[in-house]
Amino acid sequence: MSDFQLALTNTAGISSVMSFWVFVASNGVKKWHDKMLKAASIVMAVGFVALTLAIIARGVEAQRFPLANLYESLLWFAWATMGGYLALASAYGIRQLGWLAALLAATMFLYGSWLPANQQTITPLVPALVSYWRQIHVPPLIVSYAMFFLSGLSGLIELYHARRNVSLGLAIGTIVLAFTAIGLGTFTSVDTKWLQLLFVGGSLCGTIGAWYSLKYTKGEPNLKQVELYDDVSYRAIAIGFPLLTIGVITGGLWANHAWGTYWSWDPKESMALVTWLSYAAYIHLRIHHEASAEKLSLVSVAGLLLTLLTYLGFNSLGFGGLHSYGKFK
Amino acid sequence: MAERKSSKIADLNSRPIFRGPISIFASVRLTIFLLVLCATTILIGAWCPQEATVGQEKVIEQFGEEMAVNLHNWGVTDIFHTPFFLILIALLSMNMVVGSIEKVFPKLRLLKLPLQFFSPDQIAKMPFNRSFAVGASPAETLEKLQIKLQRRGFKTVVHGDQLAAEFGKLGRYAPTVTHIGLLSLLLGVSITSWTGFSGFKPIRLGDNLSFQDSEHSKQWVGKLPTWKVHVDATRREDYESGEAKQWFSDLAVVDAKGKVLEKKQIFVNEPLSYDGVDVYQSSWGLDQLIVSFNGRERALDLRPMGKLYAAFLPLDPETILILSLRNQTMPMRLFAKRPEWESPKLIGEIPQGKSIKLGSVEIKYVRPIPVTGLQYKSDPGLPITYVAFAFIIVGVLLAAIPFRHVWVSVSKDGSEAGSTVSIGGKSKKSKVGFERLITKIIEAIQTELPAPVVATTVDPQLEYEHPDQTSSLPRLSSDSLTLAQSSPTSSRSNDSNV
Repeated sequence: MSDFQLALTNTAGISSVMSFWVFVASNGVKKWHDKMLKAASIVMAVGFVALTLAIIARGVEAQRFPLANLYESLLWFAWATMGGYLALASAYGIRQLGWLAALLAATMFLYGSWLPANQQTITPLVPALVSYWRQIHVPPLIVSYAMFFLSGLSGLIELYHARRNVSLGLAIGTIVLAFTAIGLGTFTSVDTKWLQLLFVGGSLCGTIGAWYSLKYTKGEPNLKQVELYDDVSYRAIAIGFPLLTIGVITGGLWANHAWGTYWSWDPKESMALVTWLSYAAYIHLRIHHEASAEKLSLVSVAGLLLTLLTYLGFNSLGFGGLHSYGKFK
Repeated sequence: MAERKSSKIADLNSRPIFRGPISIFASVRLTIFLLVLCATTILIGAWCPQEATVGQEKVIEQFGEEMAVNLHNWGVTDIFHTPFFLILIALLSMNMVVGSIEKVFPKLRLLKLPLQFFSPDQIAKMPFNRSFAVGASPAETLEKLQIKLQRRGFKTVVHGDQLAAEFGKLGRYAPTVTHIGLLSLLLGVSITSWTGFSGFKPIRLGDNLSFQDSEHSKQWVGKLPTWKVHVDATRREDYESGEAKQWFSDLAVVDAKGKVLEKKQIFVNEPLSYDGVDVYQSSWGLDQLIVSFNGRERALDLRPMGKLYAAFLPLDPETILILSLRNQTMPMRLFAKRPEWESPKLIGEIPQGKSIKLGSVEIKYVRPIPVTGLQYKSDPGLPITYVAFAFIIVGVLLAAIPFRHVWVSVSKDGSEAGSTVSIGGKSKKSKVGFERLITKIIEAIQTELPAPVVATTVDPQLEYEHPDQTSSLPRLSSDSLTLAQSSPTSSRSNDSNV
């Protein structure tokens, strides 16, 4: 990795951390609140530009499309998270999603920086990845994952404004547990069976608990904000769902082109289908008014967990399959 | 007129196509339940290695023998072929077919209906509505509004003092297009299942691939080809680091009499297609090593050992001769291994065609025999499947377009040149964005048109409130000479079918 590329990536990483802290600090300084929110968004925009350049520089250096391993996909994910937030913030004038988006991007930078050096250095492609299909299939998926994360995070803010504090606490706890399982699975040698149990068991208990805790409210809900973040959450899914569909279908086309079958029930492709079915259920729930905004926000949080499992869980929690390019242990 | 159209719409919505028990399948709740159940089943299938793809050994390796037996007995190790999953897919398919015919496709007829017009009272009941006054005639006000809406991409129709506008009508085709895609996918997959076949075979250099052992469904009505594929040559290309870069195979299609019908070099991502059958480069390896001992040739089986291939030849109970190859072109390396040695000792390197003397035995490296992993398939339903994919992609892209309706009714307010405007509408997606857009249009109209000079009594409780409290709309004063009178804040309600 060249110094130029490293400097750009570090700029993006530091920007996301700085942006997070400015967003957080803005809530404590009422006088400068709006200005600080703007400043935090500008810092994130700087990080977004730096990361765009870093990805381009990596592609030029590698002389290939720079999306071939876990490290590169994390860069893309952080890029899509920052870009997705900036687009949503500009469309809706929202800022509070910013600190969660910045935290997510910073977590991905940190996760990427802890990966072994052979992941960060530019390595040759395995034969299966030598195809133009790689740049058609992978970017829509990574961007869709980022949009689903933003939708889930909007769901958390929505729960906050709906004053569903118990559900919110359980949802946050569940997400933290899931990330812990991913971290342990990636960087330690803890038995993956326990980590699978931690992730899946924790997600199930947490989501079901949060669902049944929706009846507990504390204080008057801010309905305008609930409606606003409900809209943001749906908009993020409305962008992510077509991208996921395109990613899954182009994956099938690539598989058919390379291996002669567009579907082989490989764990990762199965998991992408699970995510797709879940969001299809969300859309049916929403369009046919089968669930309240608060329930839909929890469905989007459940979607975030499924997306996390699809994106990082399958490699770090010991699932096999054809999509093991991100594995390094 | 509006009532007549409404009854027509209600008629379109309420007339059931399916009656009796089958009508249960039109339920959206059933769709959601089946989608969730299907997702859960696939999740279990993704978690547990599937015997059909990775073999039983992998299941035992992951869960231990006892648990693997239990999982096998419960059907979890081959969950995608269990009656439960197949019934689930059948139910989902049924739900999709009935739901599409009963609920999705009839909505297309609604799109053909002309735009309706509504009175101020009806507009006041809409999910989003506002009312305000301006100091311009109804015709001028309506024209201004029409231009503003058209500039924002709305299609508008004016009828007297009423206006109806819509945006993103294409987006309303999304469910229909997506469901046509899903139904076509079902058709494509069914055709392939009934007539297609597939398989995988490792073929040594110089051997033929035939299709007699191919896999196909029980209800198969297809036909297997009589021609074969001969492997003329096969090789591996490496990066400088020694990692595999690409695998190549030179294939020839030969008929029963041995006549060559077609030739092609294939590699990963570049298959051979002939007579509806595709042959893919799926894997590659070195299968055997031909070595001669004092002039007598022997074929030794090679085993993959990471980046290397090795053959093991016991010389005596304690000594093993190891012959190792990295690829087809590099020299063969000869090692000896004894229990007292920590690691095998290198005896020498022998380039292809050369020999080495080991005591009284002359060992010659003759050649390696590579094996190419060929995957093949015949998929007659593929064109339909691809069309289905295209429909699904277009459908979900259309779904991202927000569909918006706006209705306006302008009436004279009793003054010389003043009007009262009732504006309302709905957006199925991006509700907040829609409300902001209409608010901006109202603001612009109020800025561009003269303010009304009408004595109105205003209830201070009806002050305008913007959803995000950032609006710069003129606020009402208790003064009797005032700007526009606003309506109560919008209320949330279910979308109608108009």
